[in-house]
Amino acid sequence: MIDVDLSLNKAEFSLKAQFQLPESGVTGIFGQSGGGKTTLLRAIAGLEPGAVGSLRVNGRCWQSESIFLPAENRHIGLVFQEPSLFSHLDVRANLVFGSSRGKGRNGNRKAHQAADLDHICETLELGSLLHRDPCSLSGGEQQRVAIGRALMASPVMLMMDEPLSALDYRARRTLMPFLEKTFQELEIPVLYVSHSTEEVARLADHLVLMEEGRVTAIGSIGEVLGRVDSPLNEVDEAFSVFNCTVNNHDLPHLTSLISRGGEVLHIPRVDINTALPVRLRIRARDVSLCLQRPQQSSILNVLPAQIVDISRQIRQGSRSIKLNVGGETLLARVSEYSVQLLQLAPGQQVFAQIKSVALMT
Amino acid sequence: MLEAADFTAFTLTLKLAGVSTLILLCLGTPLAWWLSQTRTRGKSVVEALIALPLVLPPTVLGFYLLLALSPTGPIGSTLNSLGLPSLAFSFAGLVLGSVIYSLPFVVQPLQTSFVAVGRRPLEVAATLGAGPLDRFLNIVLPMSKLGYLTAIVLGFAHTMGEFGVVLMIGGNIPGQTQVLSIAIYDHVEALEYSQAHWLAGLLLLFSFLVLLAVYTLNKRASFLSGARP
Repeated sequence: MIDVDLSLNKAEFSLKAQFQLPESGVTGIFGQSGGGKTTLLRAIAGLEPGAVGSLRVNGRCWQSESIFLPAENRHIGLVFQEPSLFSHLDVRANLVFGSSRGKGRNGNRKAHQAADLDHICETLELGSLLHRDPCSLSGGEQQRVAIGRALMASPVMLMMDEPLSALDYRARRTLMPFLEKTFQELEIPVLYVSHSTEEVARLADHLVLMEEGRVTAIGSIGEVLGRVDSPLNEVDEAFSVFNCTVNNHDLPHLTSLISRGGEVLHIPRVDINTALPVRLRIRARDVSLCLQRPQQSSILNVLPAQIVDISRQIRQGSRSIKLNVGGETLLARVSEYSVQLLQLAPGQQVFAQIKSVALMT
Repeated sequence: MLEAADFTAFTLTLKLAGVSTLILLCLGTPLAWWLSQTRTRGKSVVEALIALPLVLPPTVLGFYLLLALSPTGPIGSTLNSLGLPSLAFSFAGLVLGSVIYSLPFVVQPLQTSFVAVGRRPLEVAATLGAGPLDRFLNIVLPMSKLGYLTAIVLGFAHTMGEFGVVLMIGGNIPGQTQVLSIAIYDHVEALEYSQAHWLAGLLLLFSFLVLLAVYTLNKRASFLSGARP
């Protein structure tokens, strides 16, 4: 259990965060820039000397009224937005910097280090880069080295601060599978700070929403995203995550997916083997509702759904509506005018038209 | 041609510059590190004090040092009461003067290069388990190589060429306090132009070779470390 109760006052900004996180899995810390995500991460890492409060990780006290464990004794892996490799060391020396200082392990450290290095080089495909100079690497390669370097130190927790946002689109796309693969293998908790709904939807199991230095929502990703009063609605960023498997490629130019609830969806053709699990991200503003199944519509995906909840608040003339689609949660953003016109109410059967979906592989 | 005394002056100058540079590095490193990290208001005062020798005529500095080292001055009387020899007109006194006189030439390049390292590499190293001393030795020092090179050259060269301070506190004792610049001055005073030529030429050549070596190394080093200044 990670038990956070930290606050920090700076000239124009104050952080006050109190929450608990499970000991495993990926927790996305999501919010707009300037919302205090990075400061929270730095405070947990022990890099903000001004932070006060208490912090316990796996039963060990990192910070309390009388204790402030320095960063070097917290055994965390921290990956910054910029790779921040040591420019005077080659890639290999960067990678082993932390592992040669680790105190957590006894026994044959050299042997451990060699095994870890082999493993991490394989996972992150760093083998051919080992003797290169960091500044000769591309941005994506540098960030892979930075991730490897953090993992080599055998941390008790991995923290990442917008690791993809300094990279261009192509580098982000290449690095994403490495992150997924790395997270799947890890047994330690991961804190992943991001302002990108795509990254959070793809990588996170739990979600902490932050706004102006405060935690506004916390829970499993489904729980937090499924709330009609989620703060994400206020910034028109609400979305749902749909877990599907690839069904077939029978139709021209299309791939057919099957949701957990057995609903069939179509997306533009992608080359993925059938039966593989995929995640879809569906923005609430791309979902509209009809009382009858529309005939002769250009919209590919129309799913029968039941209204579960309707937000009380009206934002920019619209309400959020939570739908149940074969057991999965789908959020829709519908104008207040339409809610009145169609007399939408919880329990009602409707059809959800999904204008676009984003596949996250 | 050159006399034995001229060679003595030459080696004495090298010894003075070498010893002073070593002491300056030991003193300058913690001082520059503190200046690069601190945010206290006293920082500007310390910076101004260190930079004073850049603007003061060396004779002013030498004058105050002479007063301080004299048997009634604060340093002189303290040494006296401890039963230690006086520093005035001695090699040790020259070293003290040179250290003060060349301090800004060592502290400023070091401070600049420590600031250039930035906080991020140190934060990364901390999260990887490196304590403060470990971070300084294994991150700051290697990343400040060029700063040290500059500091050593400037400190050494500036001490080599010093005249006013030496004349004030060291006098002109051959083998003890007679450095090159003063030997040249003596030869000119005595109208021994041939010896003055030799010594001046020697100093010119030596200084040029040292600087050439440094700039060549510097270029290669900056090329190797990714062309950072």
